[in-house]
Amino acid sequence: MAEAVASRQATGYQGRFLGLGSDAWHILGVIMPGVLWIVVFLVVPMLLLVGIAFMTNGPYGLPEQPFTLDAFRQLAGFGLLGWGPGNLLVILRTLWQTALATLLVTLISYPVAYYVTTRPPALQPILLLLVVAPSWSNQVIRAMGWMNLLAPGTPLSTLAAKLGLIAPELGLFPSAFAVTLGLVYDFLPFMVLPLYASFERLDHAQVEAAYDLHAGPVRAFLHAVLPQTLPGLLAGIMLVGIPAFGMYVVPELLGGGKSLMLGNLIARQFQDASNWPYGAAASIVMIAVTLVGLVVLRRLSRRAAGGVEVVL
Amino acid sequence: MKSRRLGVSLRIIWYLVLFFLYAPLFVVVLYSFNDANTTTHITHFSLRWYRRLFGNAQVLDALKLSIWLGLGSSVISAVLGTMLGYGMYIHRGARRLAWLVWIVYLPVATPDILYGISELGFFTDVHARFGILRPGFLTMLIAHVSFQLPFVALVVYSRLVGLDPELFNACRDLYANGWQRARFFIVPTLSPAILAGFFLSFTLSIDDLVISFFTTGPGNTTLPIYIWSAIRKGVTPEVNAAAAILIGGVFAAATVAMVVQYMKALTRRQRNALL
Amino acid sequence: MQGNKIRNLGRRTLLALMGSAAAVSLMGPAAAQDKPTLNLFIWGQYTDADLVKKFEDQYNARVVETNYNSLGEMFAKLQAGGDRQYDIVVPTNYYVPRLVHAGLLQPLDKAKLPNMKYLMDQFVDPPFDPGNQYVAPYQWGTTGIAYDKTKIPDPPQSWAALFDPKANPNQPFSISTDPQVMLGGACAYLGKDYTCSSQEDLIAAGKELAKVKKRANFQGFMDGTPMLKALARGNIAMGVAYNGDLAFNKLEDPEGNANIAFFIPKEGGEIWLDSMGIPANAPHADLAHKWINFLLEPENGAQLSNYNNFGTPNKESVQYLDENMKDPLVLPDAETLQRLHYTPSLSGKEQQFVQQLWDSIQSR
Repeated sequence: MAEAVASRQATGYQGRFLGLGSDAWHILGVIMPGVLWIVVFLVVPMLLLVGIAFMTNGPYGLPEQPFTLDAFRQLAGFGLLGWGPGNLLVILRTLWQTALATLLVTLISYPVAYYVTTRPPALQPILLLLVVAPSWSNQVIRAMGWMNLLAPGTPLSTLAAKLGLIAPELGLFPSAFAVTLGLVYDFLPFMVLPLYASFERLDHAQVEAAYDLHAGPVRAFLHAVLPQTLPGLLAGIMLVGIPAFGMYVVPELLGGGKSLMLGNLIARQFQDASNWPYGAAASIVMIAVTLVGLVVLRRLSRRAAGGVEVVL
Repeated sequence: MKSRRLGVSLRIIWYLVLFFLYAPLFVVVLYSFNDANTTTHITHFSLRWYRRLFGNAQVLDALKLSIWLGLGSSVISAVLGTMLGYGMYIHRGARRLAWLVWIVYLPVATPDILYGISELGFFTDVHARFGILRPGFLTMLIAHVSFQLPFVALVVYSRLVGLDPELFNACRDLYANGWQRARFFIVPTLSPAILAGFFLSFTLSIDDLVISFFTTGPGNTTLPIYIWSAIRKGVTPEVNAAAAILIGGVFAAATVAMVVQYMKALTRRQRNALL
Repeated sequence: MQGNKIRNLGRRTLLALMGSAAAVSLMGPAAAQDKPTLNLFIWGQYTDADLVKKFEDQYNARVVETNYNSLGEMFAKLQAGGDRQYDIVVPTNYYVPRLVHAGLLQPLDKAKLPNMKYLMDQFVDPPFDPGNQYVAPYQWGTTGIAYDKTKIPDPPQSWAALFDPKANPNQPFSISTDPQVMLGGACAYLGKDYTCSSQEDLIAAGKELAKVKKRANFQGFMDGTPMLKALARGNIAMGVAYNGDLAFNKLEDPEGNANIAFFIPKEGGEIWLDSMGIPANAPHADLAHKWINFLLEPENGAQLSNYNNFGTPNKESVQYLDENMKDPLVLPDAETLQRLHYTPSLSGKEQQFVQQLWDSIQSR
């Protein structure tokens, strides 16, 4: 209320014009252009996409009437060769890859973020920059770099073959391993930064107290460090997990036809295989998982930050 | 004792991680100078891929298009995003505008592939029905602005939140009307944030692949799309060279940023030493 | 006061910069292009740059080439608005009825194409395009299996090389992205015809393909030049390829492709004809007709074949072909030609069946 009054005072006009207060005109003029842009060019297309999922697949891939649930049946795996688990496997694999990548990113980011905080304060921004800079390069180039490193016959592939992990003629890509590697590589900076912010505010007294109470390093971490870094961790999970679930470039280039993730499955329906309703149905799954993930993480973040509204 | 061991292992992890982060980029640059068209062995140093790259009109066209697209979309999103951020700040208490946050965050939260596909469907439909918005530069521009808007709005919003609200009252006390306040107070104060939003938008646009890929038309190939198609086609050596140049650009930008950071830190310490 | 002036200056410069950037960029890149443009939508490495230059000079036009790497991609892009943007598209024979039924092609104006008279007899009035109404022949070729001799020294000259795990237990391999070609190949492997079309046959073929997908050394779906490049780089050791592409690569990079061999499976394989068509709402249909007529000129047709190493459909071009065009890779002998079939064109319902079958295979 006070804010509304303040804003009316801020705009300096108290009366009504064309039935609307200056407040409303202010909103219309200032906020609406940007909002309309997003609504017309993102919200409407996405609603259209959801609608397409309920249409029939025309003979050439474009959606047509009548409305049907065929696309969802296809998504659940029912096809001409009977029921196949492939599509559900794609969804599960995407969830698994996302979870694995997030976990690995977290495990690596904790020591890295902590290390940066132990360095002299003048150096810290530079060290953070070092971690972040690779993510400034284009994601396609980054994936290409891994393609170079993991092709058959390269040192890494030969090493893996010698260790018996893969057949000697194959390379480390395309494979699920390469996809996980690519995901971890792309998202590492996005966990390091929020964790670093949390570590900066860390109350070392609590950690010392834990040691004083004869806690081992593991317990000290779990009870003194982890709770304090929880806001940063949750922010990091949101910045890593949610985008990782929707990744397209990394699984396409590093996974080949083998390690299909949901993003690739969807893209194929609009590119080669031409089955828009089926692609739209798969998109709904992605939308649902993304939304649920966001809502859950926001709730957890708010609780971890002590009920304060998190800007993110 | 414990902390020294911890310190050593932390240091080892740090260097391993740095190696991991820079190895693929280093390899791309390395192979761009490799004479042979393979990644399994290095033959000898050669600039032939670079020579082919600079003779390749398609790459230069793609670069030009990327820059035009970036500039155009960044300007529009800077203007609209600033307005949006400002509006969000002024009305930040209004309950009836609570949905605004969701709308603004929607482009940030939407995965690229969903974004691209829904735009593809939308523009195809609109073009089939009304004949406008032929997939090409304009559709790419529209899509880019829509995902840049939230970032600019948030940068501007954060800057405004950091301001002392009394300054707005001060404007009123000096009998400034809305326009005067905007011109003499808000825009100058916000110009660093607007500039930051502009550069952020530009970076996002230049880097984008998936959304551009699905909203483009014939003859409108941006640099990331070109590199992507080249990788899919299997024409890799020149692409390594193009990628290496881009990596070089990023490295240069990062070095500049680091130097600036270092100089800022220095001046503060020097200032502290004087006091 | 000084500080104020400086700040104002900076602000004004910023605004000026942004304003001019906006103005110039909204004009769009390459705003001033007076020459008519031909938007060519075609496989990669299929059109000779010299021929393009010749056409551009002769007709004072500009040619913009966009490539696709599979027929599925071509079809999807045309449907998603491409029929209004491209002037020439080059579908393979069995895709032509599909494009016509989907309303994506416009009939050719024969009055503008006098050079159609040079076509070889077998390409006049083909079954997939009666009366040459919609498309004009471009090149023909064969599909077979390309492999690396050093990695797979003596594969069976049959589809078994791809489908039988014993023939290739370890080496990485790929198969084609095209459902009809792979289903046909699986049918041939199972002892049926390459042109099998009954539902039971196709389902049996589908089951074979599902088995292939499960093998550890299966690397994915690749066609055309990307596949051959992967083969030359060592990423795969065997896959489905087009004969002319390989001949082209061997000429361009003899060292890299020295160990690559090619065969047409003994059970039968694909012979195909690519043709030029004009999308239904092409922006420059007249220029497109000129392009088709230009390429049907005997010397130009020969120059095209000499470049991409595929067969020419032009009977007057044969005299201008290079010596290497007599190589059996490019021009299979009569006995091999017997085994080759055109991939059948499917009706809407059959097409949907194949597509659903392919989706099922993908989801296993």
